[in-house]
Parts: sequence; structure tokens; C-alpha cells
Amino acid sequence: MYKNENECNTNHIFIYQVSHQDNWNKVITPIVLYCELVNNNSEHLTMNLKNKKMAKKLTLALFSGSVDKLTAAGVILGGAAAEEMEVEIYVLLQAAFAFKKENAMVNDRVSEITDKKDDFLASLKRLNAPHWTEAFRTAKEMTNVKIHICGFAGKVWHGEKLDDFIDLADDICGIGEYMSSAEDADINLFI
Amino acid sequence: MSTENLENITADKVVDARGTSCPGPLLAAKKAIGEIEKGQIMEVLSADEGTRRDIPKWCTKKGFEYLGTIEEAGFFKILLKK
Repeated sequence: MYKNENECNTNHIFIYQVSHQDNWNKVITPIVLYCELVNNNSEHLTMNLKNKKMAKKLTLALFSGSVDKLTAAGVILGGAAAEEMEVEIYVLLQAAFAFKKENAMVNDRVSEITDKKDDFLASLKRLNAPHWTEAFRTAKEMTNVKIHICGFAGKVWHGEKLDDFIDLADDICGIGEYMSSAEDADINLFI
Repeated sequence: MSTENLENITADKVVDARGTSCPGPLLAAKKAIGEIEKGQIMEVLSADEGTRRDIPKWCTKKGFEYLGTIEEAGFFKILLKK
């Protein structure tokens, strides 16, 4: 435990100091946070800590398996990526269908304004909007995005293994993980 | 900053995102900002009305200086300083 930056061991980085005060405003317990250097690279570590502290979290319960809603999800992920948010996506029921390898690129179902489907899909092309899988991929490249396939949803669509889904998926998980992740999210969405 | 002053600025980097729709230009700006140094100026070309409002907000959040927007025929030139 160090009292101030000057005392800090060379293998450690001094982060900041918080003082506990009693009722008379007298400092009684200085609390010092420090962190051990990894590979002696202080710049890298302080940057990571800074990002970790500042990153806001978005959780997305993704239920829809239709391209209109998946495209909307992709746009929101783009916004999250621009802000370097931490993103956790939980792929539920119908979305698991869309994430199956054999379905992802050929599925062209829409869930709303279905009578204008052709116009909608043509407009996406005209506006050069990326396919939802590409929008998700871009977001993954730019910020910390984890995509979890709900195990139950996977089985509903005959997908037992991670390999049954497109490579955007990181793992297969249970609903408990979504609950604990959504609990401390800054934004939580259901699409 | 006045339009006249904005037009006199020479950007260190120009990002042409006119071929993309929201959030394409914002993501292009995000990618390109890593390629310039602090104090340098970037110009984002976007045909997307939403981006015109998004980039100033993004600048505020990220600590960059939004300099202003020039309206051209069918697109915007959005200037910012890292």
C-alpha cells in the first residue's frame, strides 16, 4: 500500500488516491489504488484502465430473426461502436435462426410492413447499407462486442454447437448471463 | 466559425463517406481519427443528414473540437480538430 505517487514501487502504477474523512473533515484513511505493470508497458496498461473505467455498456436481447430488425440492430451497434461502448448481445429464439450458418445470408424475411418487402430490400441496396452480418462484424472490429447464443434457442433451431452458427457468435450461454450482464448495463434493449 | 473561415481550412485528412448511409460516415470518422495526430484537422464528407448532427455530438463526447459544417450540393463537409 502506497500513500502517494512518490512511494509507488517501480513495478506498479499509481492510479489515484481517495481519502476517507471523518465527521471533522480530518483525513483518517488514505486509500490508494495501484496496479502491477504487465510486460513493463505502463502506457498500454493505463490506457486499458482508462477505457475500462469510461466505457459504457449496452446489452441487447436480440429476439428477432428478420432482416428489418436485424438491420436496425446493426445500425445501433454502429452507434455503440463509434462511442467505443462495451456491447453484450444475447441471441434469443428467432434470432438464433438468423444466426445459423445456412440461414444468415439467404434469410430475407421481414417482420413489419411485409407488403413492401421488395421496396424495403431494394432501398437497402440503393443506400449501400451493409448486410446486417457486416454491420455486426464492423462493430465487433471497432469495439468490444460479445455475441452469445442462447442454448435453448440454438436447440429450437437444431443448433447444438457453436460451429452451427456464423463466426460472429462467441459462445453458447444461458439466460443467467444475460440477467447479470443487463443488471449493470447503461443501455438495455430488446429487439 | 464562419463558413468563409471554414473554407480556408486545409484538412490534414479527408474522409469521403458519401457512398455510405448512417452510421457509415460516423464509423468512417471513428476509424480515421486514429490516423491523425492531436491538433490535426479532419474533414468528413457525408451525404447523410443524420451524420451532420452526430459528428458534433461525437466530438463533444470524445474530446475533439468540432469546427463547423459547410453545405455543398448534395453533401456536407464536416470539419473537426483532434
